Amino acid sequence: MTSAQWARLSQDLFNAAMAAYIAAMVGYFHYLVFRKRPAWIAARGLAVVGVGAHTASVVSRGIAAGRVPWGNMYEYSSLLALLVVAGYLVIVEGRYKVRTLGGFVLAFSVLTMGIAAVRLRVPPGPLVPALNSYWIKIHVVAAIVGSSLFALGGGVLTILYLVQDARERREAATLAAQAPPPIMGGASIDTDPDAPPHFEAGGDDPAAGTTPVPRALLPPAAVLDRMAYRTIAFAFPIWTFAVIAGAIWAENAWGRYWGWDPKETWSFITWVIYAGYLHARSTAGWKGRKAAVLALVGFASLLVTYYAVNLFIVGLHSYAGVP
Amino acid sequence: MSDVRRSLALVWRTLRSMRTALVLLLLLAVAAIAGSLIPQAMNSPARVEAMFRDHPALARFYNAAGLFDVYGSWWFTFIYTLLLISLAACLLPRSRALVRNVRARPVAARELDGFRHYAERTIPADPERVITGARRVLRRRLFRVEAANGRAPGLAADKGLAREAGSLLFHWSFFLILIGIVWGKGTGFTGFAVIAEGETWTEAHANYDGNIREGRFFNEDHSGVQIRVDDFQVTYGPNLVPKDFVTRGELLDPRGNPVRRVDIRVNHPAEEGGVKFYQSGFGWAPVIEVRDGGDVLYRGPVPFAEDPPPKGVGQLQLPWHGVVRLPTLDPQAGIQFELWPDSRALLMLQSTGVAPPMPYAFAPVMRYTVYRGNLDASPVRSSTRLDTTLLHTEASGIVGAATTVDVASGRIVEPGPSGAIDYPKGLSITFPELRRYTVLEVARDRGLWIELLAAILILLGLLPALYTSRRKVWVTAEPDGGAGTVLKVGGFALQRKTQFEEEFDRLVNELAGASSGRAEGS
Ligand code: HEM
Repeated sequence: MTSAQWARLSQDLFNAAMAAYIAAMVGYFHYLVFRKRPAWIAARGLAVVGVGAHTASVVSRGIAAGRVPWGNMYEYSSLLALLVVAGYLVIVEGRYKVRTLGGFVLAFSVLTMGIAAVRLRVPPGPLVPALNSYWIKIHVVAAIVGSSLFALGGGVLTILYLVQDARERREAATLAAQAPPPIMGGASIDTDPDAPPHFEAGGDDPAAGTTPVPRALLPPAAVLDRMAYRTIAFAFPIWTFAVIAGAIWAENAWGRYWGWDPKETWSFITWVIYAGYLHARSTAGWKGRKAAVLALVGFASLLVTYYAVNLFIVGLHSYAGVP
Repeated sequence: MSDVRRSLALVWRTLRSMRTALVLLLLLAVAAIAGSLIPQAMNSPARVEAMFRDHPALARFYNAAGLFDVYGSWWFTFIYTLLLISLAACLLPRSRALVRNVRARPVAARELDGFRHYAERTIPADPERVITGARRVLRRRLFRVEAANGRAPGLAADKGLAREAGSLLFHWSFFLILIGIVWGKGTGFTGFAVIAEGETWTEAHANYDGNIREGRFFNEDHSGVQIRVDDFQVTYGPNLVPKDFVTRGELLDPRGNPVRRVDIRVNHPAEEGGVKFYQSGFGWAPVIEVRDGGDVLYRGPVPFAEDPPPKGVGQLQLPWHGVVRLPTLDPQAGIQFELWPDSRALLMLQSTGVAPPMPYAFAPVMRYTVYRGNLDASPVRSSTRLDTTLLHTEASGIVGAATTVDVASGRIVEPGPSGAIDYPKGLSITFPELRRYTVLEVARDRGLWIELLAAILILLGLLPALYTSRRKVWVTAEPDGGAGTVLKVGGFALQRKTQFEEEFDRLVNELAGASSGRAEGS
C-alpha cells in the first residue's frame, strides 16, 4: 500500500473507533442508569472493538508517516484518547471492577478525538528536526501515558468523586433531618484514602452479589476518592520521568536543560500541583474535597499544558536568522 | 529576649509544617503561571519591546515588579528559597528519625488480639518449628525479624523503611539540583557563534560579539577550541517545512591541530574540550568586496538577518538585510544591503506584488544603498542595519552574483579581455558568491552530571515513597496442650490499610503453612 492509502486507512479506522466509542458511551450511560447487564456487555464489547480499531489507526498512521505516530498534536490527541480508554478498561474495570464509569471516560475521549479531528488534523509528514530524535519515543510516550492517567484520575474520577460526595452529604443531611441519628453515628462518610471499602468488588452490579447494595448510580465517594488517588499516585512518577526526559532532550537539542519556555513551564506547574495534591493527601485537614479541588486544578493545568500552550501561547524556537 | 526566641521558634515551627510547604509549593506554581503569560525578556525580547512601545505605563510597572524576568526576580527566588528552607526544616528531623528507626529493632507487642488485623490458627507442629517457619516466611517477604519471647516463643517484624528512606532521598535530591545549577551555571557560559561557510572560529570571549552570558564564577577560562565550517546545508520537506539542518566541518584543538570531522545537527551536538556546540540557526552570508579605486576597503562574508514577517507572509518570502561599514573613509560611509537569494522572487514581486518563497539560492541579487556621514554619531549599534537618520544617501543600485558595480554610475563593470576587472576610480561593490552561515550555540555546563544524578535519585526515591508501605507484624506460637501449636498473628499497617487486609490474610496462610508438613516442600 502507498503512504496515502495508509493515511486514508488510518483516518477511516479513527472514525470507526470514534463511532464505536460513541455507541459504547451510550451503552455505559444506559447501564449506569438502568443497570441492565446486557447493556454493559454490549458497551464493553464496543469499547474493546473501538480500542482495537483505534490502535490499528495509530499504527497505520505511523506506517503512513514512516515514523512514530506521535509527531504532532493530532497524533498526540488520538493516542491520548486511546490510552484513556485502555487505561479505564484495564485499571477501573479490570482492577477495581467498577463498571459504571465508562460513559464519562468515553465522553472525555470522544471529545478529545472530536477536537483533534476538527481542529488539529494534518496529513502525515516528516518530523521537524527538533523532534527528530530517539527521545521522542521516550519523552513523548511518558508524557502521553502520564497525561492519560492524570486525565483519568485527576479529571474524570475526581469530578465523579465530587459529584458523589455532594450527593452522599445531601442524603446524610436528609436522613439526619428525618430520624434522630443513632448514638454511635450511622453511615459515616470516610474520606481516608486507605479506609476499608464501603463497596465490594462487583458490587455495583445487582446480578453479581447476594448482598443488597444501594442502587446508587455511582460507586461510593470513598471508593472514587481512593481510585482517583491511586491513579494520580501512579501517574506522578511517570510525569516526573517525562519532565526529566524532556529536560535531557532539551539539553541535547537546544543546549539547555531548562529554559522556562511555555511548554516546560506548564509541565512544571502541572507537576507542582500534583506534588501539592500528594502532600495534601497526607496533611490533616486537606483530605477529601480540598485535595480533590487541587486534583481538578491539576487537571486544568494539564489541559493548559496540552492545548493552550500548543495552540495559543507563542513558542519561541525558530531555526532562521541570527539570535 | 525570650520573646525573640519564642517568635523564632514559631517561625521554625511554621517552616517545618507541611502546610507551609504546600502553600509555598502552590505559590511557586502561581508565580510560574505569571511567567508563562507575560512575555519574558529572556525568551522573547521582541515581545517585551513591543509591550514597551504599545503599553508603556503597564510595561514600566511590569519591569519594576520583575514581571519581565519572573524566574530571575527577587520574589521568585524568595519563594523557592523559603520552600527549600522549609524542606530542610522538614527533612532534618525526619532524617534523624529514620536513622533511629533503622537502628531500633522491631519491638515486641503485649496483646496481639488488640490489633486491627488479627488471626489465630492451630497447627499440628511444635512451637519451635512454627517459629522457625514463620521467621523464614517473614524474611522472604523482606521483613526485619526479631525474636520476641514472652510467655511463649514469638517474633516481632516490620518492613517498609524504604518508604521513608525513598521519600527522604527524593526530597534531599532537590538540594542536589540546586547545587548543580549554582555550580554548573556559575562556572559555565552560553553564547552564540555566527560562522560563515569557509571560516574558522575560535572559542574565545571576543568572538561572541557580545552574544554570551557567563556565570558569576566563570574566570575567562575559554577553551580556545576552534571549529572550521566547511559547509552548511538545509533541506526542506513538502510545504517548505525544514527537514534537516547540518553544519559540516572540523574541530581543531587550541593550537589548530585537527581533532576530528563533525556533522552538527539539531539533536546532535558536538563536544570538545568540555564545550558543546549545538545547531541553533542559520542564514545567508554573501561575500562582499568594497573597493575604493581598486584598493580593497572591505572583503569577506557578511552575515545577513531577516525581519519577522508580517501576518500572512512566509518567512522565506522576505529578503535579507546586512550592512558593511567603512569607517576609514572621510566622510565615513556605510552600505546597507538587501539580499534576494532567488532573483525570480524579486521579479515576481515587481510584477505581481507577491514574492514566492526562496528556500534555495537562484541567481541571487542584492540591492544596495550607500550612505555618508558620521557613523559613530548614532547610539544604535546593529550589525545588520544602519541607523540612517543622521546620514545622507549617496547612491543606490543593484548588484548580481559574480559581478562588480561602479557605485558612481550604478553600472556593471565588465571584465577586460584578459578576464581581469579594471576597477573604477571611486567606490565599487563586488558580490563574488553567496554563502550560508550557521549559528552554533556554544555552552559549557559542568553541573550536568549533578543534575542527571539528582534526577535519577528523585525517581529512585519516588518509587518506594509512593508504592511501599510500613507494616508491622507480630507472631506468637503457644503450645495448645497437645502436640499442636496455636499460632497468633497481629498486624498493623501505617499506610494503604485497605490493601493490607488481603496482604495480611495471605501472610497468615503462608505463616500457618510454613511449618505444617503440607507446605514444607513447596
Ligand atoms: C520541592 C517541593 C516538594 C516536592 C516536589 C515534594 C514532593 C513530595 C512527594 C511527591 C511526596 C510523596 C507523597 C506521598 O508519599 O504521599 C512527598 C512526601 C512528603 N513530603 Fe514533600 N515535596 C516537597 C516539599 C516538601 C516540604 C517543604 C516538606 C516539609 C515541610 C515536605 C514534606 C513531606 C512529607 C512529610 C512527606 C511524606 C508524606 C507521606 O509519606 O505520607 N515536602 N513530597
